[in-house]
Amino acid sequence: MNTPVTIEGLALWGGLLCYVAGGTLSIIDCVFDRRWHHRVAVVLLMGSVLHALAIGLRWERVGHGPFITMFEILSSNIWSLAAIFLVFYRLIPAVRPSSVVVMPILFMMMGWLLVSNPAAGHFPPTYRTAWLFVHVAFGKLFLGSVLLGVGLSGAVLLRRAGVGWKPLQALPGQAQISALAFRFVVVGFIFESLMLVAGAIWAQDAWGRYWAWDPLETWAFLTWLLVALFLHARVSMRLSETSAAVTVLAIFVVAFLTFFGVPFVSLSPHKGAV
Amino acid sequence: MRELTSTPIFRDDVAALVAPTIRVTTRPRLAMLASLRLTLAVLLALAAGIIVSHAIADANVWWVAGPLVVGAVNLGAAIAFNQSFRRQTPLLAFHIALLALVVLLAWGRLSFFRGQVELAEGETFAGDMAQIASVRQGPLHVGNLSDVKFVNDGFSIRYAPGLRRAETQNRVRVGPALEARVIGDSEPLIAEGYRFYTSFNKGFALTFTWIPADGSVPVRGAVHLPSYPIHEFEQAMEWTPPGMREPIWCLLRFDKEPLDETREAFFQKPASDVRHDVVLRAGTARHELTAGQSQPFAEGVLRYEGLSTWMGYQVFYDWTIPWLLASCLMAVLCLAWHFARAFRANPWDAPSP
Repeated sequence: MNTPVTIEGLALWGGLLCYVAGGTLSIIDCVFDRRWHHRVAVVLLMGSVLHALAIGLRWERVGHGPFITMFEILSSNIWSLAAIFLVFYRLIPAVRPSSVVVMPILFMMMGWLLVSNPAAGHFPPTYRTAWLFVHVAFGKLFLGSVLLGVGLSGAVLLRRAGVGWKPLQALPGQAQISALAFRFVVVGFIFESLMLVAGAIWAQDAWGRYWAWDPLETWAFLTWLLVALFLHARVSMRLSETSAAVTVLAIFVVAFLTFFGVPFVSLSPHKGAV
Repeated sequence: MRELTSTPIFRDDVAALVAPTIRVTTRPRLAMLASLRLTLAVLLALAAGIIVSHAIADANVWWVAGPLVVGAVNLGAAIAFNQSFRRQTPLLAFHIALLALVVLLAWGRLSFFRGQVELAEGETFAGDMAQIASVRQGPLHVGNLSDVKFVNDGFSIRYAPGLRRAETQNRVRVGPALEARVIGDSEPLIAEGYRFYTSFNKGFALTFTWIPADGSVPVRGAVHLPSYPIHEFEQAMEWTPPGMREPIWCLLRFDKEPLDETREAFFQKPASDVRHDVVLRAGTARHELTAGQSQPFAEGVLRYEGLSTWMGYQVFYDWTIPWLLASCLMAVLCLAWHFARAFRANPWDAPSP
């Protein structure tokens, strides 16, 4: 009877350990210039596969996807963030040193996951719609894109602070890295817009209103406004690389609090959360 | 007319494409209305307005509406006067879609309709406004509610162990031909643009026939008891039959609760063999009735016909919904198109100008 849970637990632990190992290797790689990119990617990929297995087994066991409890939401977001980071870690070498910023964020989320209650939650009937998947997928793509922007912005700030790690210094100029971070935020903005649209379609069918200013909707829209402000400020105020980097970090903080914080500070988050 | 030209120095490739030169050929005041800095101020004001509205329960609607109005003016002015939009079709289309979105939102607020209607099993919604409670509507609302007709043919709601509500299936018959349909979670009934959503607000209904003592026509109706199972221990309601001076208090009692919270259960019209009775209290007198029994009063006879259910529907009307969706999708698509073009034209790692 316990077999599926045991395999699921082993897969989850295995995945998290691989993330920690891969993340640690990537940080060492950046700090000491070890050129372990391939090794890092392989270990992170192993983590991603094991974690996907754990999520799949849990899905099979509880009968619904990772959409309900904080444990599930954290787990699925760690998976998506790690997977998105891994893809761009492989595709764009300039992204690699940003692991010194990205990985600690993922480590923190993993720690949070491990202290979260893994019990299954009730799957509401209004969640039985394809729009849930569309909404959540766009949300994950948004957060992943912004996380990449955060990593690059962190690299900009570290260089500005005089951190002399060789891979950091070997990156293209501050303006170029800042421009790349901007691009990830732009892509995130598009996905966030789609997330809001998909959420509104779902809400209209499920609860009879496309928008109700509930805490999650409000904070998701504030995040959207903050990104829109950033895009406009970049054009109209000639933001410096440092200011742009700080703004991207601020966007991520607000987005992170919207995804994972609002359910804790509000008694009535919308039904997309815990 | 003089020409105003500003040529800001941009530090990144995207900025250079977004607004290479804001060349405004009009009077200074209109130029100010199209300003990107005003856009920034509007976005900040909107964010602040949303936070205030969220923090203060009865905040004035203008905290949000004000920045939106100024934003619409800013967008309109930018579309009309910002020459860089002429050269960048996707950016122009994006801003037009945004403006359309704001206008549609405002129009939607002026023409929406929202309300609630409760129908007992077998009861018809005949498009009568008197059947709708908690009505809120915009001042410009015009609709064909009177043409909407449907019958509630009863529901079945599955409850998972622990009384956790699962799927709702509500059978209805719709329109002049009374076409049978099933509505429920994420599946509203849409008629004449009005959307009827089943809700968590539903319960038992006691069906009575009131036979007036003065010989007038008997009246059959249903008393809707409080929502079930959330108020399972308060299944009572006061009701005054037509022509009676004082109200009758009715209480529903079951031998055994219809929903067993230890296992999967279905909330629906109880089968005829489910044992229950109704306690009536009128003044100091107390009576107990089972289905089919009658109780005489000075003003008439009350016959308890049996137990049924009622469903609470949310009613919503907003003709702008498909247009809002179209505007949103157009805005996102054009934004993606604009940035894709910009990014393709300028590699991120190209040397700074």
